[in-house]
Amino acid sequence: MLNDFLILMKQELLVTVIIFLLLFKKVSGREWSNVSLMNFVNVLLVINLVSGFFMQQTGTLFGDMFRSSELLSFEKNLLSLGTLIISLQSYNWLKDHKHVAEFYMLLLSTLLGMFFMLSSNNLLMFYLGLELSTIPLAALANFDLDKKKSSEAAFKMIISSAFSSGLLLFGISLLYGTTGTLSFGEIPAHISGTPLQVFSFILLFAGFGFKISAVPFHLWTADVYEGAPVAVTSYLSVISKGAILFVMVSVLYNVFTPLSGTWYNMVFLISLLTIITGNLFALRQENIKRFLAFSSIAQVGFILIGISGQSVDGTASVIYFVLIYIFSNLAAFGVVNLVSALTGKENIDDYRAFYKTNPLLSWVLAIALFSLAGVPPTAGFFGKFFLFLAGAAKGNYLFIAIAALNMIISFYYYLRIIKAMFMDANDRPIPKLETSFSPKASLFICVAGIVVTGLASGGYAYIHSLLK
Amino acid sequence: MTASQIIFYILSAFILGTAVLSVTTRKIFRSAIWLLFSLIGVAGLYFWMEVEFIAAVQIVVYVGGIVVLIIFSLFLTQQSGEVMAKAPVVRKIAAALAVIFGFALTYMLVQQNGFEATGKPFDWSVEKIGNSMLGTADNGYSLPFEVVSMLLLAAMIGCIVIAMKAKPEEQQ
Repeated sequence: MLNDFLILMKQELLVTVIIFLLLFKKVSGREWSNVSLMNFVNVLLVINLVSGFFMQQTGTLFGDMFRSSELLSFEKNLLSLGTLIISLQSYNWLKDHKHVAEFYMLLLSTLLGMFFMLSSNNLLMFYLGLELSTIPLAALANFDLDKKKSSEAAFKMIISSAFSSGLLLFGISLLYGTTGTLSFGEIPAHISGTPLQVFSFILLFAGFGFKISAVPFHLWTADVYEGAPVAVTSYLSVISKGAILFVMVSVLYNVFTPLSGTWYNMVFLISLLTIITGNLFALRQENIKRFLAFSSIAQVGFILIGISGQSVDGTASVIYFVLIYIFSNLAAFGVVNLVSALTGKENIDDYRAFYKTNPLLSWVLAIALFSLAGVPPTAGFFGKFFLFLAGAAKGNYLFIAIAALNMIISFYYYLRIIKAMFMDANDRPIPKLETSFSPKASLFICVAGIVVTGLASGGYAYIHSLLK
Repeated sequence: MTASQIIFYILSAFILGTAVLSVTTRKIFRSAIWLLFSLIGVAGLYFWMEVEFIAAVQIVVYVGGIVVLIIFSLFLTQQSGEVMAKAPVVRKIAAALAVIFGFALTYMLVQQNGFEATGKPFDWSVEKIGNSMLGTADNGYSLPFEVVSMLLLAAMIGCIVIAMKAKPEEQQ
């Protein structure tokens, strides 16, 4: 029993241990310099990531409330990797910050929440994991303590996430009322498709929609992304979104199987709306963080295409795309983070002639944007290709065609930044940036990830093999 | 109509009436007090269902904790005594329509749904709740209990960081 507990929950336990280490360190009162504290946490995060690859087992704990499997361990490893990359990237921002230990405690609490949410086999655990992964994030959005915009972002985030949690809870209680159980394993047998159950599903789906910022529920996204510190923005747009997408796939596929006809139509409509709105708004953004916010909304629309596939390919393509999305989006955010932390510039116009002064960084940003757009040799192309393939298996070709057309529109706005960097003239370009080791290492991991997953096909096959 | 039903309708009318007053009153302090009455009504509903423990929790947590917190934070703002502006007519009509449609939808959904009885005996006692709160086997909720404690820890850390920001200069 104890062995099972230690092995199945090892990732959660490790993250908890790190949180408490930081807490005791903070309470003990001995001051470390920010740099040594950050190095300490980064080493711990590397240990956390590496240990995730060993001793993966399938099983359940706590009377079926918690489950673990190789697939879940893999998903958790992806999130750990993303957290490590973000931690490396925030070096310049955190170097002079007063609350580094608290930043990591809150960041790791949200990671812990995501782990519990992924492993949940019960609506209650799912809800608690979701709350644990969003409430500390709202506090993190406020971590630029002297900026008003940052407080505004935190406030908007806590209000909108409270509202969406309200919808989600209402849906969960109606579902509990009609099925009489909270366990994911028992719910499908009790779902018969009565109107009340469909209504509860719609509420649950709206809750999910808020968290992944799919279109009718996306209004908080741009403001929060713009106001929050870049490290938190990238965490919000990649890690927390990725975790919720993983859970969403598993809940839609395994729990709401009896309602698959209903949810296909919903996913289909919301996907189209999300792609089109995300694209149209991304076209006219001037602030690069707002731009990346709307681009990430459009990307969620593409991910929903994969979810609508309702097959093993659907799950595999979503996980694969999130893997690629972690690398590409974090590479883009990494460069934006550096520029923002060192010069304070966040407009697309500021990036004109960026290539003249920082050739290496502009190549990193260019490769990231190519990958986000889906230009062939980069990984992003294959990610979107598999999503479309999974979606097309349902035979709704008009839907796929409209989505593919939107992909072409997205080329315009991604390439607009590349044009600004490489071709436009600028009297006062961003000066040459002195980068330290950690951000460099994180950008290297991201670019290597984009190139390797683009050229080697092993990743998709591996994810597919985990799903068997 | 039995006495039990009559009590139920009186309680419901009390809850809904005070809830409506809490939304429509134009002094924000009064609206907090009406909310207090509405929450007490909900506790009464739990007593009516003979789940005294949940009723007690409702009173301790909501009436004793949350409403007091709301009133405290209202006192800390400057405009707690002032009369709020009247809502425009368009908004009133929209709100009324939303309420009517929301009620119609919920009523229709609940009416059409045949709730099946699980057949399990409804048995609660504080001892049983305590055991399952800290149990690890089936129907044991020790894991959610621990996760909630992590959530509280994170919330406290977040609050401290945000609230501390007012006086970083003084400390130096």
